[in-house]
Amino acid sequence: MKRAGSPHTAKLPEKRERMKVDEMARDNTVPETNKDYAIGLGRAFGGAVLFAIPLLMTMEMWWLGFSMGRGRLLLLMSLNFAILIGLSYFAGFEKTFSWWEDVVDALTAYGVGIVTSVIMLGLLAVITVDMTWNEIVGKIALQSVPASIGAMLGRKQLGAEQDTQAEDDRKQEAGYRGELFLMLAGSLFLAFNVAPTEEMILIAFQMSPWHTFALGGLSIALLHVFVYAVGFSGQESRPAGGTFLSTFLHFTMAGYGIALLVSLYILWTFGRTEDAAPAEIANMAVVLGFPSSLGAATARLVI
Amino acid sequence: MSDESLHQNEQRSGAARHTPWLEWCASGAGLLLTLCIFGFITWQAFDDAVSPPAITVEATNISSIDGGYRVMFQARNAGGAAAAQVRIEGALSSGSHAPETSSVVLDYIPGQSAREGGLFFTQDPRSGNLALRVSGFARP
Repeated sequence: MKRAGSPHTAKLPEKRERMKVDEMARDNTVPETNKDYAIGLGRAFGGAVLFAIPLLMTMEMWWLGFSMGRGRLLLLMSLNFAILIGLSYFAGFEKTFSWWEDVVDALTAYGVGIVTSVIMLGLLAVITVDMTWNEIVGKIALQSVPASIGAMLGRKQLGAEQDTQAEDDRKQEAGYRGELFLMLAGSLFLAFNVAPTEEMILIAFQMSPWHTFALGGLSIALLHVFVYAVGFSGQESRPAGGTFLSTFLHFTMAGYGIALLVSLYILWTFGRTEDAAPAEIANMAVVLGFPSSLGAATARLVI
Repeated sequence: MSDESLHQNEQRSGAARHTPWLEWCASGAGLLLTLCIFGFITWQAFDDAVSPPAITVEATNISSIDGGYRVMFQARNAGGAAAAQVRIEGALSSGSHAPETSSVVLDYIPGQSAREGGLFFTQDPRSGNLALRVSGFARP
């Protein structure tokens, strides 16, 4: 969203410039030390445990780790890596200045996610030494997806001092595409948190078409309200000159579209769409679209 | 604008100079782990990950307990794909009596992996004719 023309930034350009110069001076005189980096790494581990704990304790996740299609698992891991690079740009666990550093940070976050998954799954006796490598690596590979996202967001969520100014600048620079990316990342993460459970399918089975219709409507309404109305931190102001309808079509409907696509993708990844009737798939997509659209709406608040 | 890009350049060179060695270690380890896990899953994808389950079961231990006998078994899935709800049945026939049967359902057996379980009988399986078999599975 473009906010360059908003009165706040227009009135205080000098002050902002001065702050930037101050920051720069600090950056160049005080090099990032091992201690700083170790603290960032500690936050990454904290974030990985925190964000992954619901899925570490979900048995369907353990089973999917060895039973889901290998090609789909590979695709999910690759997509996750791409999202990590994007997240590093917007809200990584340290400030980055080039795409190369974003890749390096994404690798680090993936590593932290894998190490966290190994330790936690081992502690919970989900992986034991008498299992075969096929089983162990499958479980770790799947769990490392949410854990690595948690690692990447750890700094943002658990850090004491954050450079929110730089992040806001980046979100502003990225514009509409950046907005869509953040919605994608948010919906993927939240949908991923509930999608593995059997309840997802059971709920779709027991809902009538009217239930589905109502849930879809509520998803869209909440998506709009969360972003533009109730005043959470990170809330967007409606773009200047935008009517309700144009905002609704540009952001809310685009967000719900992303949420539905993400839901379908995750359902396919976990093999829920196999041999299912189109109406049933649509039902499941709307059910999963609910957490997914909440994720899209709150991505800006979290990231 | 040019001013800003200049600053960014300064920052970039500054950051490159001050990259702490811990960052190299952490990202190097991350690269290694990521490559390993991608490599392993890719290898699995091309190494028979889709052949349907083929499960065999064999008794590993028979011992007498209070009120009967316990037969421990190991069910091994030689196929590449995982099997769900694997039913293991044991029939113990001795002499002219009708065979005594016990059964258990294992939640999952991953591909190329084994799971253990146990069956209980009232008569001694060592003295009779014990037959263990897998009667079916569901695709996960």
